[in-house]
Amino acid sequence: MSQIALKGVTKSFGGVSVIHGVDLDIETGELVVFVGPSGCGKSTLLRLISGLDQPSAGAIEIDGRDVTRVSAADRGLAMVFQSYALYPHMTVRQNLSFGLENTRMAKAEVTGRVAEAARMLNIEPLLDRRPTQLSGGQRQRVAIGRAIVRNPTAFLLDEPLSNLDAELRVSMRAELAALHARLGTTMIYVTHDQIEAMTLASRIVVLRAGRVEQVARPLDLFNRPANLFVAGFIGAPSMNLFPTRAEGGTAALPGGRRVPMAGVPEGSEVTIGLRPQHLRLAQGNEPGFDLRIALIEALGTETVVHGELAGTSGDTPRRVFAILPGQPGVALGDILRLGFDEAYLHRFGPDGQRLVGPGRP
Amino acid sequence: MTSLGHWAGVLVTAPLVLLARAVDPLLRAWQRWTGIGGMAAFFLLPNLLIFGVFVLIPIVLNLAYSMTGGTEILLAQRPYVGGEQYARLLECQDYSRPLTCREDQFWTAARNTGLFVLFQVSLMVAVSLVTALILNREIKGRGFFRAVFFFPVLLSPVVVGLIWRWILQREGLLNLLVVNLGLEPQVWLNDRVTAFAAAVGVSTWAHMGFYTLILLAGLQAIPRDLYEAAEMDGTPPARVFRRITLPLLGPNLAVVLVLALIRGVQIFDEAYVLTGGGPGTSTLFLTQYIYEVGFASLLRNPGLAAAASMLMAGVLVVLTLVQLRLSRSSAGGQR
Repeated sequence: MSQIALKGVTKSFGGVSVIHGVDLDIETGELVVFVGPSGCGKSTLLRLISGLDQPSAGAIEIDGRDVTRVSAADRGLAMVFQSYALYPHMTVRQNLSFGLENTRMAKAEVTGRVAEAARMLNIEPLLDRRPTQLSGGQRQRVAIGRAIVRNPTAFLLDEPLSNLDAELRVSMRAELAALHARLGTTMIYVTHDQIEAMTLASRIVVLRAGRVEQVARPLDLFNRPANLFVAGFIGAPSMNLFPTRAEGGTAALPGGRRVPMAGVPEGSEVTIGLRPQHLRLAQGNEPGFDLRIALIEALGTETVVHGELAGTSGDTPRRVFAILPGQPGVALGDILRLGFDEAYLHRFGPDGQRLVGPGRP
Repeated sequence: MTSLGHWAGVLVTAPLVLLARAVDPLLRAWQRWTGIGGMAAFFLLPNLLIFGVFVLIPIVLNLAYSMTGGTEILLAQRPYVGGEQYARLLECQDYSRPLTCREDQFWTAARNTGLFVLFQVSLMVAVSLVTALILNREIKGRGFFRAVFFFPVLLSPVVVGLIWRWILQREGLLNLLVVNLGLEPQVWLNDRVTAFAAAVGVSTWAHMGFYTLILLAGLQAIPRDLYEAAEMDGTPPARVFRRITLPLLGPNLAVVLVLALIRGVQIFDEAYVLTGGGPGTSTLFLTQYIYEVGFASLLRNPGLAAAASMLMAGVLVVLTLVQLRLSRSSAGGQR
């Protein structure tokens, strides 16, 4: 039995429907990340689980109990807000204990829990400060501490790292992963940052326009995107997608190379995807396609090349990304011949869904 | 229509642009000569002149008058008496009993003003807070109600006084209602207690919109996340109000309190039109006392009125300093 289950959850604001019948099962101890573009409904879905908003239809179960109409406070969940939502007029200690005092918990236990959370998060020296006297990272820790002291069934984290600078975000990400490993408590984490999703998640839920596009482990999502949206959304730079046509059990890629394309009707519009990482400089007479370099991002360990397919420089030049290992010594305007291994092709049918066919992944 | 609007805009702005071009070299020359500080002084000058003529000079003149005696109006014709007017005002056997004071009317007015401030400010803060809390909720017609509560602030105090006199006088609207309900009509404005209560109530009604607006702004500045965090924690509404709303609204409440105190001490126009200070002296307030002693009585005494003004100004200065300090600390401190 899953710990948190969403069954046909729908949410409308007035006449606008923002969540369309989401079904989802989250197991105990998982760290599930909701990811998707702005406005896809990931924060709304989190708020529905938290009880801060009520679904228009469908049911939410926690530990087998229907909590759809149960108040936020009685769901046993704790939330970390994007803004941290720390009470500015209270000290860190008061912020941590405020929620516990509502439960009429014995003072000694409140003190004990606050001390334990403070020790776990290394915020003991900050207990008598107010939030305005803390740095962004320290506030983030206090916000997490406020959730920890409640000893919740699950943590809900709404873009908790988005207000931090890049460096701090990386270190807090590692701390969150360590915290999850130590506590073993279920976490639902909302982010628009793919790297956070890929590095933290047990499973990722990709959302678009209020619908679940795919639920999978991070690498499965990367290796086997279920449809064109997920293929384009997961991975940076995004996957190169080539629209083409199935003819005689094959389909042509730019440059004329034909690759196997089974399982679709003859003549149907299909799309072939290739990740930038899976493109390489062609060897000898290896078949491939020519790319005119429009932008180079040299990162030292690898070089990201933005190019246009040679021969498409008219009104709609086809953009292609390639990630080449190391520092290949290319220059703007160069024409590169790129090859690839057919095993890395992703094939999508006329409906945009992944085709099960030859080759990995 | 667009081109009509365009030409109307050109007609309005063209003279301004020409004027700006004409004075620009002069302003530049002035700035070169005096620097940025001189330029700032130049722009402040009109307001400083108005402030000087209508506020600063009258204060100095008032101080001078308070040290003179007699009934003459012109300062040059009035004999210097030093602190005699102050001594006369402050001469009292028992300050809690105005009748034992030499200027019993002054002390009656002072006591009435003190009581008025006590009741009116308490009522004002309570009513404004409750109204702001209600208007801050997502109720239907919120915009309409916000306008309705603010509307009396736009009325002239004399109009406010007149409206309520028509309602509360012996043949007024309220008594019409009372009679229709089969009850005895009351003399609301001729009874010491109800007249005083009417002055408090009417003044609160007239000004509460302003204070409600300040408190509403404060409430809206409290992030919604804080309430949601409290909701997740299962915080009861009363505790949310006591532990979150009230402390975070503190700076706004303090400003409202002090502004209402200052305004309360200055109470005059609407109360004067409503009750004329009566019945007897039950709604005689300090400003009315000053006005009557200085201008409206047969034996006018400008020196005494000026001295009373200075004493009242002292109280107001203290309150204003408190208000400035509070608004500075609320502006400087982060929420």
